[in-house]
Amino acid sequence: MATSFLDSAQSAVERSIQRSLKGLGYMASSAPVLGASAKDVVLSRGPLRLYHYHPLTDEVYRVPVLLVMATTNRGYIFDMIPGQSLVEFLLLRGYDVFMADWEAPRAEDRALGMKDYVEDFVGGSIAEVQRLSGESDVSLVGYCMGGVLSVLWAGLNHVAGPKNLAVFTTPVDFHQMTLFKSMSDQRYFDVDRLVDTLGLAPADMLLTAFDMLRPAGRVASNFQLLDNLWDDDFVKAHRMFDRWSNDMLPLAGEYFRETTKQLVWDNALMAGTMKVSGQPVELDKISAPFLHVTAEHDHIVTTAASAPLIGLIGSADKEQIVLKGGHVSLIAGPNAVNRMWPRLDTWLGAKSV
Amino acid sequence: MTDGPNLDPFGLARTWMAQWEKLVNEHGTELLAKPEAARAMQALSGAAVQLKAVNDAASGKLLAAANLPSRADFEALGARLGAIEASLARIEQALREVAPDTVPKRPAVARTRQPPSA
Repeated sequence: MATSFLDSAQSAVERSIQRSLKGLGYMASSAPVLGASAKDVVLSRGPLRLYHYHPLTDEVYRVPVLLVMATTNRGYIFDMIPGQSLVEFLLLRGYDVFMADWEAPRAEDRALGMKDYVEDFVGGSIAEVQRLSGESDVSLVGYCMGGVLSVLWAGLNHVAGPKNLAVFTTPVDFHQMTLFKSMSDQRYFDVDRLVDTLGLAPADMLLTAFDMLRPAGRVASNFQLLDNLWDDDFVKAHRMFDRWSNDMLPLAGEYFRETTKQLVWDNALMAGTMKVSGQPVELDKISAPFLHVTAEHDHIVTTAASAPLIGLIGSADKEQIVLKGGHVSLIAGPNAVNRMWPRLDTWLGAKSV
Repeated sequence: MTDGPNLDPFGLARTWMAQWEKLVNEHGTELLAKPEAARAMQALSGAAVQLKAVNDAASGKLLAAANLPSRADFEALGARLGAIEASLARIEQALREVAPDTVPKRPAVARTRQPPSA
C-alpha cells in the first residue's frame, strides 16, 4: 500500500513537471510537416489539384487508385506523417496512387457548380489518371463529400464507370443529418442571398457549423491537450488533427447553393431525383464493385445518413463495413492504421490486377 | 483490494470535464435542432451578410472617389488571370500531345503486382 502510494505520488509529480516543461516546448515548437509524401501536381484546374504520388515499390497493381478528398477540407488528412499516412500505406502495398485535393476557391471561382466538380474535376482527374497510367481502369476512393462526388460521377457514367468504387462516411440521406438540416432550414436560411452577396461560402461559417455539431468539443479538446502535455505521442497527434480540422476551405458559391438546395433541402440523392447538368444520376445502374466504410460514432455523417447508400447502389458485388471510430479517426490515426486501412487493402488489392 | 489514492491533480478535473462535455453536447445539440434556434442563427448570419453588402457598396464608392481599385476590380483582374492560366494549360496540353515531354521522366514501374494471397 505504501509502495503504491509512493508510486502514485511519483507518477503525479513527474507528469506535472512534464506538463510544465513540455507546455513551454509546445508553445515554442513549429507544427509538424504534413502531406509531405513525394508527389507531382499533374493537373491544376480552379481549386482542383491532382497529385500523383511517387511509387515506393518496384511493381504496382495494374489499376491506379484515385482518392477524392472532401471539398471542405485539405487532402493531407490522407497523408499526415510517415507511419500515419494512408497514401504511404497504399504506396507501400503496391498501389499507383493519385489524389484529387482542393485549394481554396478564388473569388472568380464563385460560379463553379456541381457540374464542374463532378464532371470537370472528378471526371477530368479520372481522364488524367487514365492518360498518365495508360490504363482505362481506375479505382475511385472518396471521403465524405468526396465520396458524394465519386458516387455522382459513377451514377452519371455507369457505362464507362470506375473499375472499383470505395467511399468512406458518405452521406446520402441528408434529412438524417438533423443538425445540418436544422441549420440550413429552408424557412430561415436564405442561401441565395448568402451566395449572391459573398460569392463563396466562407470557411469560418462552415467551421462554425461543424463545431456546433459538438458545442463542447473545442473546449474539451484543449483540456485534453493540457492534461496530456506530458505524452509526446498525444501532443503530436493532437497538433496534426487540430491543424487539419481548423484548416477548412471555403466553397464555391454555386456549388454550395446546389448542395444546399438539391442535396439538403430536396434530399435528391436519396429520393432518386438528383440531376447534374440535366442528366439523371442513376445509382441503381452502377455496376462496379462497391465498398462503403462508415464509422460507428460518426457525429458529422451519422449512420442514419450514410447507411442507406448501399441499398441504392446497383452493384452485385457490394459491401458495407461499420468500424469503430468517428468521422476522422476512421480514416486517419491509430484507429485507421489498425482497422480501416488493412480492410481497404484486402478489398482493393484483389480487384486491382 | 482497492486502488491507491488518486494523486493526479487533473483527475477530478478530468471527470468533471467529461461530464460537462457530455451535458453540453447533448443539450446544445437538442437546442440547436429547434426551429427557434435555426431562426435566430439565420437572422444573425443574414444581418452579417447584409452588413457586408452595405459595407462593400460604401467602400466601393469611397475607393472609386479616391481613384483606387476596389475588390471587384481585383476580382475581375483575378478572373482575367485565371482565363490566361486556363489558356496556358490548354496550350501546354496541346504541346504535350504533339511533342515529347521535355522534362526527364521517372522510370515507369511495372504494373504487374499481384495480391499477397495470389
